[in-house]
Amino acid sequence: MTSAVTIPRHGGTGERTAVAARARQVVKAYGSGETRVVALDHVDVDIARGRFTAIMGPSGSGKSTLMHCLAGLDTVTSGRIHLDETEITGLKDKKLTRLRRDRIGFIFQAFNLLPTLNAIENITLPMDIAGRKPDKAWLGRVVDTVGLSERLKHRPTQLSGGQQQRVAVARALAARPEIIFGDEPTGNLDSRAGAEVLGFLRRSVDELGQTIVMVTHDPVAASYADRVLYLADGRIVDEMHRPTAEAVLDRMKDFDARGRTS
Amino acid sequence: MTVLKTSLRNFFAHKGRMALSAVAVLLSVAFVCGTLVFTDTMNTTFDKLFAVTASDVTVSPKSAGADDDGAGTGRPAALPAATVEKVAAVDGVRKAQGAVSSMNVTVVNSENKNVGSSTGAPTIAGNWTDSDLKSMEIGSGRAPRGPTEVMVDADTADKHGLALGDELRTIAATGDIRARIVGIVTWKVTNPGAAVVFFDTATAQRTLLGATGRFTQVSVTAADGVSDARLKKDVAQALGGAYKVQTAKENADENRQDVGAFMDVIKYAMLGFAGIAFLVGIFLIINTFSMLVAQRTREIGLMRAIGSSRRQVNRSVLAEALLLGIIGSVLGVGAGVGIAVGLMKLMSLAGMNLSTGDLTVKATTPVVGMVLGVVVTVLAAYLPARRAGKVSPMAALRDAGTPADGRAGWVRALIGLVLTGAGGAALFAAAGADKASDGALMLGAGVVLSLIGFVVIGPLLAGGVVRVISAVLLRAFGPVGRMAERNALRNPRRTGATGAALMIGLALVACLSVVGSSMVASATSELDKSVGADYIVMAQQQRIVPQAEKAIERTPGLAHVTRYKVVDATLTSPDGRTDDTGVTAADPTYAEDLRRTTTQGTLSAAYGKDAMSVGSDYAEKYGVKVGDTLSVAFKGGGTAKLKVAAITDDETSIDQGARYLSIETLRRYVPADRIPQNMIMFAKAEDGQEAAAYTALKKALADYPQYQVRDQTDYKEELKNQVGQLLNMVYGLLALAIIVAVLGVVNTLALSVVERTREIGLMRAIGLSRRQLRRMIRMESVVIALFGALLGLGLGMGWGATAQKLLALEGLNVLDIPWPTIIGVFIGSAFVGLFAALVPAFRAGRMNVLNAIATE
Repeated sequence: MTSAVTIPRHGGTGERTAVAARARQVVKAYGSGETRVVALDHVDVDIARGRFTAIMGPSGSGKSTLMHCLAGLDTVTSGRIHLDETEITGLKDKKLTRLRRDRIGFIFQAFNLLPTLNAIENITLPMDIAGRKPDKAWLGRVVDTVGLSERLKHRPTQLSGGQQQRVAVARALAARPEIIFGDEPTGNLDSRAGAEVLGFLRRSVDELGQTIVMVTHDPVAASYADRVLYLADGRIVDEMHRPTAEAVLDRMKDFDARGRTS
Repeated sequence: MTVLKTSLRNFFAHKGRMALSAVAVLLSVAFVCGTLVFTDTMNTTFDKLFAVTASDVTVSPKSAGADDDGAGTGRPAALPAATVEKVAAVDGVRKAQGAVSSMNVTVVNSENKNVGSSTGAPTIAGNWTDSDLKSMEIGSGRAPRGPTEVMVDADTADKHGLALGDELRTIAATGDIRARIVGIVTWKVTNPGAAVVFFDTATAQRTLLGATGRFTQVSVTAADGVSDARLKKDVAQALGGAYKVQTAKENADENRQDVGAFMDVIKYAMLGFAGIAFLVGIFLIINTFSMLVAQRTREIGLMRAIGSSRRQVNRSVLAEALLLGIIGSVLGVGAGVGIAVGLMKLMSLAGMNLSTGDLTVKATTPVVGMVLGVVVTVLAAYLPARRAGKVSPMAALRDAGTPADGRAGWVRALIGLVLTGAGGAALFAAAGADKASDGALMLGAGVVLSLIGFVVIGPLLAGGVVRVISAVLLRAFGPVGRMAERNALRNPRRTGATGAALMIGLALVACLSVVGSSMVASATSELDKSVGADYIVMAQQQRIVPQAEKAIERTPGLAHVTRYKVVDATLTSPDGRTDDTGVTAADPTYAEDLRRTTTQGTLSAAYGKDAMSVGSDYAEKYGVKVGDTLSVAFKGGGTAKLKVAAITDDETSIDQGARYLSIETLRRYVPADRIPQNMIMFAKAEDGQEAAAYTALKKALADYPQYQVRDQTDYKEELKNQVGQLLNMVYGLLALAIIVAVLGVVNTLALSVVERTREIGLMRAIGLSRRQLRRMIRMESVVIALFGALLGLGLGMGWGATAQKLLALEGLNVLDIPWPTIIGVFIGSAFVGLFAALVPAFRAGRMNVLNAIATE
């Protein structure tokens, strides 16, 4: 049994718990009988509010599955997941959809934008779908933060990969979700563009108080986080606070070596 | 070999995506094969029937129709009994039997209900002889003897619940005869629909020919060892060329030709509609292959990168098309036989007897179906295949994404505009044509050119039209509506082709509805303008028998009754040129019943002794003026010198070009028994007696159900119903093309949904609900359907209006656009769009969000 549970503490305002999302004894298994594969094996995890959390692990460790489950994209076999005070395990599709729409932001590795919509339309899409008016001032600030004011009328095909990901970040931020999930958001970018995007994510945590969970296998990307969780074989095997790229890399090598000898 | 393997694998990997294309091929091929099998089966049925009804050799009067003597007296042409004896004496004749038969009869039951066929097949009355045993046998009862006994065929008896002992009244030219049913005969082969009654010979002669000692034909049976051809020669020699002598084969061939001509009309009309369905199917196939090629761009690039030639790629796509064509066609041929059987069942419901035992599938039918299906499919796939061949090896390396296909291009625009322009010019020329024949050619050219032009510029029009439709309809739905609009716009070529498929069917619907309603409106306005008669009496195919004429004349409350006869005659103009279009003989009151304007003289004078009128076209062509004398040779009568007393204006659609003279004048030159029966009769009520006279007239004709009496209001209503029925039939046949077009919309949406899997996943992930997603797809579908409808209806109304302008030369003076129909079709198209989106939207909604995102 693995655990990465922090002692609950209260944030500065004192109105909300300091845990934005928590998973308890989450199991995700595919198939049954002999072909049963356990992707998540009784995972307990708390995601701290206003912090940048990275989930790392080798391929097949279950890190993406964990993120999908936390984000309400995937169902769990057993266990419970709460987003703030709402239990999302067991919610019907309609409620889950609304939850994703109103309370969660996403940044995927690729194909984040609708080709038929221009940059600003993509950014406001979740609010449009919900029928909400975007907060003009906030939107302006987000757009400025990601440095896209000049390219708002461009279609995705007219933007570079880095710009596209910045639009995706802006979209995730614009609706002020409680939590943003990133699935290797810089996986398709070169190191400079990647650094830019990660810089924005870091700033949005520091300056805007955003909560971010990011899946990655890049130690450099993980070094932007406040805390790194290590997954292996569906379990949380370690965590690191205030990581540096070197430290993360060393820890990874450590796991690799252990994995090989065991 | 590898190419073929890839094609096969691709085909079966994407068989779902091919399914709708296969259905389109299947439907079109099935309709073609169904038509062929159905008409061949009908022909087989008639062949079998004619084979048993024809004697070895038949002798009949020359130049006579089966139902008439050619002069319209209602009595068939006859030959004297002596001829039968003369034929019987010829060497090699085993038996010569005089036969009497007439199709100019109506048979009613004791409730005055017509027991004849309801499908347009004839009612035949004749004498029962031994030679009839070749095709029929007496199922119950016995042969008729004497003037009060009749035998009826079993099919008719079944249909109308007739039994032995029931009374039938046979209405013939010489009078009515009431007789009890003493026997019921059964056909040995399938009789598609003719109702048959038999009398004994003397009764048949008296009733049908007006005198005994006469026959309508001699049925000759050959002695053993004598060939039909030999016998024919000998009989013809003995008779000296006064009669028509035919062998059994010639007789059957002649009958078959009459039926065959009718069947051919049906066949080619139905094949025409199948052709339209094929045309629409082409768009569906093009779209399918374009989308498959687009989705497979990377894969094709890889093939090219590792060394496949363009031709190989091209051929691999065509091989898939070939496979699709073969599968669709094979299923289509099978379904075609099913359709034929279905049609036969349908015909049975309409009162026609057809036996599936006669089902005829000629060897050519499956061949035609297969070749058509395969060739059309491969041709349709050719353009996408060529595009696949053009994919560069670099495509393998590029990021996948959805391939952009915006390049509608100025070449396309130019070609489309030129074609549309040419089509428009041709239509304009057709509308202004002086002669209907020139105009018809221009109209045809205009229709074809403008259709092709619209298909070509469809993708360019899609942008504007879709934006307008969306602005009106979709904006209310917020971002979902906006995304639907963008999706419909993102590939104009695809939207254009999908819409164009729908456009074709709807353009024809719009065009025909405009022509049809203009026809009704023109006829109605013409009736209002020129018809003064209160009541019109006529039958579908028959002339009015004297006993019915008397019943009409005896009706109380009528100011006058007008008889109207069409008479065969040859006119010779003063300068010796002849014209054999015939004349119209009527009572002078006809001038009141139909108000005609004259360009010269007064019409009433034409009804004077030895006077007549001619139409302005004739007068112009032959240089005839009022006061000139024409020589008129009446068929079956003498030749008269008649003075032209009036020239009627031919700018009309009723009685155009008719030459009038009085029945009195006709009587002076044609013997009483050669005067034709009335074609139509008109009547006018005494003032204030209109309603009572109408009722009385209907009552007077109750004994003669074959005639309809109508006042002007009912007549217009009838006209409208008839046109409406005809239009409905055509719409029904066009439904096939529209169904294929709807499949095309479903196909496009279904393939788009597959193509946009990742987009849909993304939208669902960031919070688009299933309902919103489904709504988005439905709205895209509605927009595409309305785009097609708008183009189609616009184009069709243009064609219809042009046709009306052209037909104005033939009296189609009033343009009437049936707005309720047009608007109904437009709104219907929106529902069609909703319907087409049902399955694609459902499937998109069911898509697993995670899988959708993960799809690489």
